[in-house]
Amino acid sequence: MNGAIEENMVPRYRNKIPEYMITLILIMLALLVILPIMLPICFVFKTQLEFAYSPWSFPEKILWTNFIVAWDNIQIGKGLLNTLYVCLGAILCTVPASAMAGYIFARYKGKYTEILFYAILAGYFVPVQMVLIPLYQLCNRLYLTNTLPGLFLPMAAFGIPFWTTIYRSFFYSLPGELAEAARIDGAGHYGTFFRIMLPLAKPCSILATLLVFIGSWSDYLLSLIMLNDQQLFTMQLRIAQFMNAYGTNHMPKYAAASLIAAAPTLILYLMFQRWIIQGTLAGALKG
Amino acid sequence: MDSNANATELAYGVTYQKKRDWSLLSFKFIFLLPALAFLLIFMYYPIEETFRLSLMRATGLGDTVFIGFENYVRLFKNDEFLTGFVNVLEWAFWSVVIQIPLSFFVAFTLTTYKNRLVGPLRSIYYLANVLPSAITAMLGRFVFAPRYGVLATLSEKFNWEWLARIDFLGDTNIVFWSIFAVATWAYTGFGIVYLMANIEQIPMELREAAELDGANKWQYARYIAIPMVSYPIRILAIISTVGSLKLFDLPWLLTSGGPGFSTTTLVIALYKQGFVNWQYGRASAIGVIIFLLALIFAVAQFSMQGKESSAK
Repeated sequence: MNGAIEENMVPRYRNKIPEYMITLILIMLALLVILPIMLPICFVFKTQLEFAYSPWSFPEKILWTNFIVAWDNIQIGKGLLNTLYVCLGAILCTVPASAMAGYIFARYKGKYTEILFYAILAGYFVPVQMVLIPLYQLCNRLYLTNTLPGLFLPMAAFGIPFWTTIYRSFFYSLPGELAEAARIDGAGHYGTFFRIMLPLAKPCSILATLLVFIGSWSDYLLSLIMLNDQQLFTMQLRIAQFMNAYGTNHMPKYAAASLIAAAPTLILYLMFQRWIIQGTLAGALKG
Repeated sequence: MDSNANATELAYGVTYQKKRDWSLLSFKFIFLLPALAFLLIFMYYPIEETFRLSLMRATGLGDTVFIGFENYVRLFKNDEFLTGFVNVLEWAFWSVVIQIPLSFFVAFTLTTYKNRLVGPLRSIYYLANVLPSAITAMLGRFVFAPRYGVLATLSEKFNWEWLARIDFLGDTNIVFWSIFAVATWAYTGFGIVYLMANIEQIPMELREAAELDGANKWQYARYIAIPMVSYPIRILAIISTVGSLKLFDLPWLLTSGGPGFSTTTLVIALYKQGFVNWQYGRASAIGVIIFLLALIFAVAQFSMQGKESSAK
């Protein structure tokens, strides 16, 4: 009897590394993630001279000039507008097309739609990096290089496969009686989709909008090859340009630029983190 | 009477179908058209062109001439391409060996030692993953820059000679690891969150049974958790390998592939051949190689998924 109790108790004492050690390691790793993001705040309020002599001291007084310089020199206002335009275009091209295609693939299964579905699904595995040259030539012939649509149209093409599969599995999970009921009520194919199905797919659409936004906001490679005109530069190009224009002794200005440019994504992440994490996982879990 | 009603219903259904057939077809067509048009124009046509151009001498100026596999032959004598290839393989190897065990450690401890910190810690780990790569690169330069970077100023302040002597972005032996560190910082969050989601799905009974049998946390990890998530771990390995095939932003923004070719990658080699040297043909050949490698891994992923779903 005694022995049995002891045996039951054993596992609780067998952990060689105590729990607080593990927690400590985990917290230190979290600090490792968060500190580089926080670092700019230490430097951003200093003048260049102050930074050069005592980078780690408290700033003598709070200076906003670095923000102004960063704002003026990398023309963040313009970059912001360009990027927003690209994001909006990417969302408008990706989300409706994916929703419509996903709906057909889920609700109107047939031999041909199945073949087309695999043709679209295959696109999910094509890296955009491999087609840079022909993509550039194609856009050149369509007068799309050096324009912002030249960015978001290819982005949409490379985003559609993923979101089509997501919409497809979502519409597939809806009970079939819904469509049946709509048809008995006299709704046609279009009516069923626009009045019944699309409103039901709202979580899917919000997720797609959010992640397409973040994706096109972060793009660097496509902007790099498509845009030459300074006036059209997106945020990411501006940041890269800024980074190459100033020596590393201009850290306080770097700090200001990175704070301004990181703020939108960080705010969006803080607001919608659960959605963002779940959406990214949906892709990987489905595969 | 009952069967009669059924018959009319059926008949109605049939005529309904027949009458609406064309409208149904046009409905399907209209709904599929945008997606298919986007893919045909901006994906499938460029893919075909990549394959075609890879067999051509094409420079943007003058005629394109068919030259067979000469582009490929030349690539395999090209230092930049070969170094990029080796770098990408090394990068893939180290991301599997370092990032995946790290993600598993964090994901496992976070899910098994359940405490109040799980939620916030999870959000923090994933935080770096949503930053645009230009910002990540800027933060990387912030830390590693010579003389004014965080590490440089800290080593000056504390008189750490050995640290001050390291040139993180200029030493050909070290720069790979500096960029790898930045990438690990930025991307490990995904692995953590992904593995956490999978470990959380392990049935509670398994864990309780293991504890009853006297298994400690590490035995539980070794004999139950790792086998249970071996499939997501393999998927993660494929995702990071394909990711390293596509690697461009961070090395390009931090060092432009230099110094020398020490941090060049396949995509950097492609970009330089195409948009600096205007060797469209050779750049496309690199594109084809990237595509074929990515294809191998996609097939591996698919066959694994097939096995997994048939096992269930």
